[in-house]
This record gives sequence, C-alpha cells and structure tokens, in this order.
Amino acid sequence: MRFVYLALFLSMTFAFTGCSSKAVEEPKEAVVHEDKSRDDSNGELAGFTDEFEAKEIYDPFSGYNRAMTSFNDGAYEYVLKPAANGYKAVLHVEVRESVRNFFNNLYFPMRLANNLLQGKFCNASEETSRFVVNSTVGVLGLFDPAKSYFELEAHEEDFGQTLGFYGAPSGPHIVLPLLGPSNLRDVVSLYPDALLSPIDYTERSYWTLTDTSAEYLGAKSLEKINYVSLNMDRYERMRKDAVDLYPYLRNVYEQYRDKQIEE
Amino acid sequence: MRKIYKRILMLLVATLFAQNLAANEQVELKEHFLNKINEVILIVEDKKLSKNDRNGNIVKSLTPMFDFELMAKLSLGDAWKELTKENKERFLKLYVERMKQSYSAKIDAYKDEKVEVKKMEQPQPNRIVFVTDLISKEEKLEIVYKFHKPKEKINAKDSWLVYDVEILGVSILKTDKAQFKEFLQTKSITELMDVLAKQS
Repeated sequence: MRFVYLALFLSMTFAFTGCSSKAVEEPKEAVVHEDKSRDDSNGELAGFTDEFEAKEIYDPFSGYNRAMTSFNDGAYEYVLKPAANGYKAVLHVEVRESVRNFFNNLYFPMRLANNLLQGKFCNASEETSRFVVNSTVGVLGLFDPAKSYFELEAHEEDFGQTLGFYGAPSGPHIVLPLLGPSNLRDVVSLYPDALLSPIDYTERSYWTLTDTSAEYLGAKSLEKINYVSLNMDRYERMRKDAVDLYPYLRNVYEQYRDKQIEE
Repeated sequence: MRKIYKRILMLLVATLFAQNLAANEQVELKEHFLNKINEVILIVEDKKLSKNDRNGNIVKSLTPMFDFELMAKLSLGDAWKELTKENKERFLKLYVERMKQSYSAKIDAYKDEKVEVKKMEQPQPNRIVFVTDLISKEEKLEIVYKFHKPKEKINAKDSWLVYDVEILGVSILKTDKAQFKEFLQTKSITELMDVLAKQS
C-alpha cells in the first residue's frame, strides 16, 4: 500500500513539473489508427487522407480569372516592379515605412467598424488606442509608437471578414484587375469599406484625403508601389512554387481568407 | 474496501503517468525544434558563406526533421497509387528536391527574426502540432508545424517528423495537392514532373 502512495506522489510531482509550462496543453482524446504495415503505402497514408481533403472552390469564371491573372502577373513584372525598384532607390526604408504607417492609420475607421460589427470589443478598443496614440505622438500616423512603446497590436478586419464571420459563403472566385485574387463576398465588401476610407473621390459630407479621381488614383498608386517596395520578393518567392499560377494563387488566397475569418 | 482504494489509486497513477509522458514528449520535441531553429539561424546569419553554401547547409540541417517523402505521396492524393514504380521514384525525387529548394530559399530570406512556440497540441498520440510566431521588427508571422511519429523510426531521420507547414493559414501540402489535382485533370503526370524538374 505504501508503495502505491509513493508512486502516486512521484507521478504527481512529475505531472506538475511536466505541465507547469503554460504552453503545454493537455493532449486531447485520441483515436489510434492501426497502421497495417509500413511498406503498404495505402496503410501509411490512410491516417492523413481526411486531413488534406481538398476543398472544391466554386469557379465559374475560371477563363476570365486565368486571363486576368496573367495580366496582373505581367503588370507586376513590367510596371509595378520597375516602378517600385526606382521608388526604392530614391527613398530610404524608414521613409517608406512611414508612408505605409500613414496609410494604415487612415484605414482605422474601417477596422474599428468591422471589429465592432463582429463583437470584438477588446480589439476595437485596442485599435482606437492605436489610432489616438499614432495620430498624435506618432505625428499623423507616420510612426507607430503604439506598437513599439505601448505594445498595442493592430487588428486587421474588413467587411469581407465580417460577412464571413456571420457565415456568408465566399461565392465564386474573381480576380480583380491589379488588385489580384478576390471572391464575390470580398468584392461586394469593397463598397462599405470604401465608405469608411478617407481616400475616395466621391462627394462626401466629411473630410477625405482626396477629392478628385486623379488624386485618388495617385494616392492609391503611391500606396501600392510603396507596399511592393517594402515586400519586394514576397510575391516572387511565392510564385516560384506554382506549377500553374492561377489555381495556385486562387487556393492560397482562399485559404488565407478562411484563416483571417476564423481568427 | 481497501482493495477498491488500491485499485482507484493504481488507476490514478497510471493516468497521471501517461499524461506526464505525453507532456514530456511535447516538451522534448519543442526543445529539439528550437535547437534546430537556432542552428538554422546561425547558418542564415553566416554571411561568409555563399548563398548556395548557405542553402545547402540549411537543407542538410533541416532534412532529418522533415518527412518530404510522405509529403510527396500525400500531395498527389489518390493519383499516387496509380503511378508506375518508375514514376513513383521519379516524382518522389523531384518533389523532395523542390521542397528543399523552396524551403531553404524562404528561410534564407529572413533576417533578425526569432521563433516562439506559442501553442502545442497533441490531437493524436502520434501527432503533435506547434503553433509558432516568426517575430521580426515589423510583424508577426504565424507558422504552424505539424509533426507525426512514424511507427518505425526511419533511417537518418528524427523520431518526430514535420509533414506539413502552414504559413498564415496557407498549408503547403493542401496547396500542392489542390494545384496538382487540377493540373492532372488536363495534363499528364509526365508533364507535371517536367514542370517540377524546372522548378528545382
């Protein structure tokens, strides 16, 4: 009997030391799969098949989408990339980061509204604090002291994510000119998000950064070229893994959006 | 009465012990994983080496932790079973080579970044999932590593092996599976292998 107590005591001490780290989560109830034999490839792969069941993406516009993907790819290669390279050569990385911060700060109303619409009140208040700090201490949003000094994190939310949050399906995949992969849900969401964006060319009763469509295009191009100059190789590195560019990008986009909505 | 007590206690001992083992397994793997990452970071930061040497060293250091062969088989889904023996061998070789190139190039692009394991899960006794953050000055990138433990240890490999990596929710394996499937609907496996050969 004493032995049992001792064993209990021992294993309890081990158990507590083993689990003291916060990150360790208790292993969930598990189903053990019987592997038939190692060289039988079917048996070996059986445990994984349901994990990678490919989700069919509804794609009635695949012909158009494919053409637009090649167009966008060409536009990146022959217009955006050279432009971003020139821009990068002239402006120091700190300046470009400030340009990005400035634009990000302007999109605060959109992020706030969509955080609120999804009932994410903590994130909404964190976003608000960020906006207040960055617009004042951060000189009109050029710097991001909210993150570097106050550890306030940004919470990217757009109307597409809000719709997805309430269960709206993504609908057919649509590749937009220059903007890249999207889907019906996210295209529809561009409109409400644009209403909350201070970069716009339509008549508004409140302050906007741009008034005419020429100014709008200028601001949007600056934002895009600035973004590309800061993330120069990202698209190219990603593109290398594609055996066929269009379905590859479509899949990456849909998986990425699903993940954003889930968060 | 005492007998029952004894039995209950025994049962408690057994469950606690089993739980403890599982937790230790995760902790051990985490240590091993972080060591590996540190090893790779040292290689990435070694600017004395040429880019090719760096990539070669990264591949050498990471290969024991990855089950590229399993990834190759899973990426083809049902089509794998229908391949001839020669095609199986050729595809396996091409896919593994492509993975190595692609992964080492991706890692080499990162500088001054650190990796933090923020969550560990064990959905099955032979599966462990690490949710990690790749933290740089600019941003946090969530990367999920999925490990499995083969019944029998594979030669020159670790006992726990990565079979999928998710970057910002995008699974490498899922993406490959989907794009290969679509490619094979209109084209042949030989054409697919030719494209893969060009990539690495």
